[in-house]
Amino acid sequence: MSHHDHDHDHASGPRSVPAGLSSCAEAATAKEAAYRIDYPLSAARNTRVVALDDEAERIVRSAALLDWGQARFFSITDPGEVLAEVGASDVPLDKVMTDTNTVVMVATSGENATAVAAIGDLARERGIMTAGLVVAPGALTSDALFHLRPHARILLVPAEEDDLIELLRATRA
Amino acid sequence: MLRTDINELLAQAGPGTPMGDLFRRYWQPVLLAEELPENDCPPVRVKVLSERLIAFRDSEGRYGLMDEFCAHRGVSLWFGRNEEGGLRCPYHGWKYDVTGQAVEVPSELASSNFCANVKLKGYPMAKRGDVLFAYLGDPAAQPPLPEWEAYTVPDGQVFTSKRLQECNWLQALEGGIDSSHVTFLHGGNLESDPLFKGSKGNEYNKGDLKPFFEVVDYEGGLLIGARRNAEEGMYYWRVTPWVLPNFTMVPPRGDHPVHGHFWVPIDDENCWAYSFDYHPTRQLTEAEVAAMRAGKGVHSANDASYRPLANKDNDYLMDRESQKHGENYSGIEGIALQDSSLQESMGPLVDRTKERLVATDAGIIKARQKLYKAVKALQDGVEPTGNRAKDQKVRSVAIVLPADQSFVEGIGEAMVAEPAKPHTSV
Ligand code: FES
Ligand SMILES: [Fe+2]
Repeated sequence: MSHHDHDHDHASGPRSVPAGLSSCAEAATAKEAAYRIDYPLSAARNTRVVALDDEAERIVRSAALLDWGQARFFSITDPGEVLAEVGASDVPLDKVMTDTNTVVMVATSGENATAVAAIGDLARERGIMTAGLVVAPGALTSDALFHLRPHARILLVPAEEDDLIELLRATRA
Repeated sequence: MLRTDINELLAQAGPGTPMGDLFRRYWQPVLLAEELPENDCPPVRVKVLSERLIAFRDSEGRYGLMDEFCAHRGVSLWFGRNEEGGLRCPYHGWKYDVTGQAVEVPSELASSNFCANVKLKGYPMAKRGDVLFAYLGDPAAQPPLPEWEAYTVPDGQVFTSKRLQECNWLQALEGGIDSSHVTFLHGGNLESDPLFKGSKGNEYNKGDLKPFFEVVDYEGGLLIGARRNAEEGMYYWRVTPWVLPNFTMVPPRGDHPVHGHFWVPIDDENCWAYSFDYHPTRQLTEAEVAAMRAGKGVHSANDASYRPLANKDNDYLMDRESQKHGENYSGIEGIALQDSSLQESMGPLVDRTKERLVATDAGIIKARQKLYKAVKALQDGVEPTGNRAKDQKVRSVAIVLPADQSFVEGIGEAMVAEPAKPHTSV
């Protein structure tokens, strides 16, 4: 649009006038960027990572070995009701889905569809963000994808093994 | 990948940097064809990938792109005289052809072969559609000319603009991949902009403000599918391709022309957005081209040096009334400036150690990872993708599919560009 159109559209609207140090020209420089204040960001994701099958469990276990903030890692035992925490004991799904704001599901096959649905339902009810990684060749038409699809706000297909680590790192899990 | 690596490895594209080496495996847009409109026209300064170059078009219409500075004593050849098949430095008269080869050194004796040994570093540059593409890399690894559909359609079916963006290229690219901002930032433009309005797809957009995303890895880059509810049992998909390293396309709306961008590094703190609109099967209408020239759609209204008229010096003409009343969610007019104002506000090179990404940023996370892997692979001698015709003949798609169908399977051949094949759009 041209400057002229703009004036025409909002003839009466006051427009902000660039004001010294508070103007974009002053503020958006490399020099000014150095004054962005520095303080530790809270790592409040409380991410839960859930392996949906044996191969996924291998991937999740090896990611769990790295150093994380508050992330916790699980595999499925009793579909829909109890999850096994990596390096710890079994936890009821309802507890797993408490005090968390992100659940990442990892699948390599289409197993445990009921568990996926149970996790998805709780996540919807409690406003928990869901992500899914389908680590499988031919993932585009796999059952793993179709089971996860209704329940994962964002899906990576096909995902590579290290995508889990990258996602957790980037989200400060 | 750690966040500090992103800025060190991916953001900087100057000579000798890892990302710079990767960029030098691709033909990149360096000028609009209109900047060298005729034979013997004035030469133009080009800064790309942190290299200062001069571009010119000689008496026979050949394009040259080479070191900006005269080999003799370093005068800028912007002052050069473009005449009789070469560019002549006005200081002492040294003259160069389009390859950068010196063809005359007047101070030397006519019989001397001195000038045979003087050559400015030069790069191949070629016109495709209304854009001049150049290749700045190793001649031995030079890929074939670009085959982007926008630049293979007949004349009159494409319009490209360029716009200066005063921040690092990666910030701009990430905006092109980040589909989750569209509902917010650009929400107001769907029905007001002549280049978007009136499509059926817009209704799905407005009917479902919380899309789901599927990020699909494919050889040339990523396909980012945004999925919204459509009629019972159906999903409306908008599929955005990202092709390595810096090409993104916007999914189409109705029969409107299709648009996309190249985010080309100028230096570490500036980039060019080359924004195109093309129609695969018909001429652009006069009204469409007029709207594009006026800065509608993905374009912007610019000054003669391609800097947007709304820029940081005038606070992007921020209109708090319009922000308050919702015509423009951010108070800035036009898609292009809505994006660039925010991306520039992060600073010329954003400090990514301070980011707080969320799961819906997985597309950005994955794209960084793919760039990182391509950079590393090239260091190990593995050539990247994205510079071959099969990666470039890609289309963005908007489509309604049954809920249980993979979008990649569902769009199938619709993703593949072919001459005169109608595009798939809703
Ligand atoms: S909401 Fe995304 S940058 Fe602020
Ligand atoms: Fe945008």
